[in-house]
Amino acid sequence: MTKDKMSFQATAGTAGLFAVAAALRLLLFTAFPGLPSLLTGRVEISTPVTSFKRLQEGLFLYNHNVSPYDGGVYHQAPLLLPLFSLLPDPSTYPIFTYILYTLVDLLSANALYKIAESGEGGASRLYSSPRKEKRWSGYVVATLFLFNPFTIATCIGRPTSVFTTCAILHAVAKALSGNIFTSMLCLSFATYLSMYPLLLLPPMVTLAYDRTYNSKAPKSLAQLAVMCTLAVSASLALLFISSYALTGSWEFMSSTYGIQLTLTDLTPNAGLWWYFFTEMFDSFRSFFLGVFWLHLSSYTPALTIRLRQQPLAVITLLLGIFAIFKPYPSIADTSLFLSLVPCFRHVFPLLRYSFVTASVVLYGTFLGPAFYHLWIYAGSGNANFFYAITLVWSLGLSLLVSDLAFAVLRDEWEVERPEMRGKEIRQI
Amino acid sequence: MQSLSFFSLIPFLTLLVSFVVASTAPAADYHEQLNLKPLPQNSLLASFNFRSNTSLPEFEAHNFRFFPRSLGQILQHAGTRELHLRFSLGRWDAETWGARPWDGTKEGGTGVELWAWLEAESDGEADHKWLTLTNALSGLFCASLNFIDSTRTIRPVMSFRPEGDHPNTTMANMHLLHGVLPREVVCTENLTPFLKLLPCKGKAGVSSLLDGHKLFDASWQSMAIDVKPVCQAGEECVLQIEQTIDMVLDIERSKRPRANTLQTTSSLAHPPSHELKCNTTKPYHADDTCFPTDSLNAQEWTLNQIFGKPMLGNCPLTDPKTPPVCIQAPHSRDVFTSMGVEELKEPGNENQRCYLLPSNDEEFHLALPFMPRDGDRPKTDADEFVQPATPLLYAERSLTGHGQEHGGVQAILTNPSPDAEVEFVYMESLPWFMRIYLHTLKARISHRTGSDAGQTLRDDDDVVKEIYYRPFLDRQRGTQLEIRMKIPPGSTVFMAYDFEKTILRYTEYPPDANRGFDVAAAVITILPSNSTSTAGAAAAAGGKTARMSNLRTTGMLLNLPTPDFSMPYNVIIFTSTCIALAFGGLYNILVRRFVGRDEGPEVSLVKLRKRLQEGVQKFKERVQERLGAVGKGAKKVDGKSD
Repeated sequence: MTKDKMSFQATAGTAGLFAVAAALRLLLFTAFPGLPSLLTGRVEISTPVTSFKRLQEGLFLYNHNVSPYDGGVYHQAPLLLPLFSLLPDPSTYPIFTYILYTLVDLLSANALYKIAESGEGGASRLYSSPRKEKRWSGYVVATLFLFNPFTIATCIGRPTSVFTTCAILHAVAKALSGNIFTSMLCLSFATYLSMYPLLLLPPMVTLAYDRTYNSKAPKSLAQLAVMCTLAVSASLALLFISSYALTGSWEFMSSTYGIQLTLTDLTPNAGLWWYFFTEMFDSFRSFFLGVFWLHLSSYTPALTIRLRQQPLAVITLLLGIFAIFKPYPSIADTSLFLSLVPCFRHVFPLLRYSFVTASVVLYGTFLGPAFYHLWIYAGSGNANFFYAITLVWSLGLSLLVSDLAFAVLRDEWEVERPEMRGKEIRQI
Repeated sequence: MQSLSFFSLIPFLTLLVSFVVASTAPAADYHEQLNLKPLPQNSLLASFNFRSNTSLPEFEAHNFRFFPRSLGQILQHAGTRELHLRFSLGRWDAETWGARPWDGTKEGGTGVELWAWLEAESDGEADHKWLTLTNALSGLFCASLNFIDSTRTIRPVMSFRPEGDHPNTTMANMHLLHGVLPREVVCTENLTPFLKLLPCKGKAGVSSLLDGHKLFDASWQSMAIDVKPVCQAGEECVLQIEQTIDMVLDIERSKRPRANTLQTTSSLAHPPSHELKCNTTKPYHADDTCFPTDSLNAQEWTLNQIFGKPMLGNCPLTDPKTPPVCIQAPHSRDVFTSMGVEELKEPGNENQRCYLLPSNDEEFHLALPFMPRDGDRPKTDADEFVQPATPLLYAERSLTGHGQEHGGVQAILTNPSPDAEVEFVYMESLPWFMRIYLHTLKARISHRTGSDAGQTLRDDDDVVKEIYYRPFLDRQRGTQLEIRMKIPPGSTVFMAYDFEKTILRYTEYPPDANRGFDVAAAVITILPSNSTSTAGAAAAAGGKTARMSNLRTTGMLLNLPTPDFSMPYNVIIFTSTCIALAFGGLYNILVRRFVGRDEGPEVSLVKLRKRLQEGVQKFKERVQERLGAVGKGAKKVDGKSD
């Protein structure tokens, strides 16, 4: 009875929170009619693979029977096209798009609420943190996500990466609640939309394994891994086949995923790839593309093995790494990473550089647009200005990722050595 | 005596030549003509037209006659059935000069433009032949035509129709390819091979007037080569080559003696103030301010002056009955020619006079004297030149927006006619790095007459009838956009669309990257007003349709964002360092064990530091000891001195 009441209160609380968040978004959409198109044009929010303007162009071509994949503008998943052509034309009735994006944000927040409420951050099957009592409720975590300026800006800028965010968060939430197949389906959706979430499969499998572990009839991890891989491949195959049926050719593969592998579009963004490959010597381009992708994928096995006891931490750290090192990162990826960090409230006291990280990220946030303006509009700066800011931004975020990794590992270590709590340590 | 005998030989030689030509190949002939047309504001349009042909069976048998062998072999090798090549420079001022010569069909956009119908079984074969053709023409015309690659080639659907008469069997296999080089600077080295294709090679006839210094100094010029098969009923089909040069000369400018044009730039930029022609009616006119006048002096020129050299008689290969020089001016205009020249006035055409040259090698002179605007019989503009015809359509195109990220293109298309609507195809061939958004394409219309005259613009979906769009692919092909529009009488259409500027790899920028990239002119094909069928149907019908006319907008200069060209190494190093820092930091945390500060084995570095610290400590102690000893000694010495 009391449990029911509590859950009801929680629902009422989140309902209020969601209502406020939705109202804020719709207010921003309607009170500043120029804001959506302004933010859509920002390189920090819209990348060639997520931009809403490109989606509109793709829709226009799709509705006029021109293959959007036979051109250089549209690089997004084919199934987005029928979804958006169901909505009324965004240029005449934009309110439907606004409502859709607000709903997606609320869905993500709901998944995040479940993730935080599960307490997986502090205590998993194999590991229980000595500090696990110190944690934020789902309410706080969802609030931090919904009112994060990056999330709001992303929602107003309407890139399609919000769908990926939503799918990833739901994959995690479903894995936590033990629905392995739903979780794998969500992960396949995320992969289908932006490819890189495939790298989250190993930690997602361990997470699902831990949450469905039955000590009376233990299944092997390998068995589950095979099952999950099959589930993901099957649902991906289904998605690809339906895309093929929709567009009538396999062109979309090279246009949607090929561009992420070959980086033919060098539009500036917050990441490290674009300027590197602008300045790269032609003969070394393919080599470095290989190196960059290898580097990006090398983190998955390393983190999954080292942090086997805390799969959620692996997922969080990986999302942070993707937000820095993927080919077309935007602040949508950063906001996804930052939304999961509060689940690790218990290790915050162990962070060593929280002030430096916060300062560097703020520095990048404010100077990035300013330097971009100097380069593109004022003409008083050159490309190096913006490039320097992306370097600072990436370094700041990577500092946060490694600091979080340090804090999580130290927390693990203190289980073995409770007497070392609060003492200075070193690594050998 | 000698000269007499020489002149007496000339008719004989001409006769001989014409006899030989006439007897061996009845289908082969050669025509040349220079049309002079004085234009308002002291300009003169000179249209040179050279036309020769050879019958198709003889062409196939490599018997080229007057057809240039070098070009003919290229055409045969590349399977080209129809070829159009244009070299153009400058801008045709339609507001002042009116309708274009040849209805605009013999001009190209700024730079070099080439389109051809190739016979090929497949698109791939057509592409291959096109590559052969462009490379061969590149060598022949000393132009960078070999840079017309797949990113600059399009296959127009609505804009161009074959001009020649093609049998239906070849029509099915013909592929139209079109390429533009807007950045190509047309210059003397393109004129020389052009003249070499002529039977008289610029040594005699009207082509002897052509000189690079004058041609490329013109306000507007266009050189054209058109090759097409022509079949007339009851006659053998012939392959016709037509070479055309149109130029608009500024008479004052071309009359300057050669030495004067080679003056230093400083004196050209600042002519002496008494030579400036100012509009003295302006209130601010003074010694140091000048508003240039529109109506300059009455025209006064001779052929020698404006072309810099005289015309060296007839080309002996032409049909002697075709007058080589014509002038389009009112009959009230005084025109003087050299002796022995026969003036022909067509009865139907009030404004045309042609001159038949005597069959000798004498220089031909033509002079238009000064006609006083006052005095006994004052002359007016109407006596000077024929009022130019109003064109069917005015078109201008410009870039909008600021910054190097987003931009827009706006085309302003005006139908000046008070009662006839105009239907045309607007075609753009855009480079791939101009990433256009077709969904932003908007056409707005404003009427000059009618109930809503002078009102603000309103959206009109009725203007755009049909769009053919082939989107660009990064580094593979450019955008092809063809829009069929219909503008009601007395209206102006503002067509606009957005685009995004791409950042390129640093090796893809030209040497002066900040100058910008040239965007080719838009080609506007005005469809004949009587054809009610759609363009597609007309194209499918093939063959000759009613005459179309063309016009082209000016090119555009597109500024793209540029990277810093000086620092590829720095960027590689900085980015790699950043990645190494992130990777190294995380790697360290993941693989190393935690121990308490005072636990575990001593790392060699810590050991070294300890040892160093110990050493420093010892050294300090020793020094202090020494200092202490020395201080004591010094005190002793002091004590002694005391």
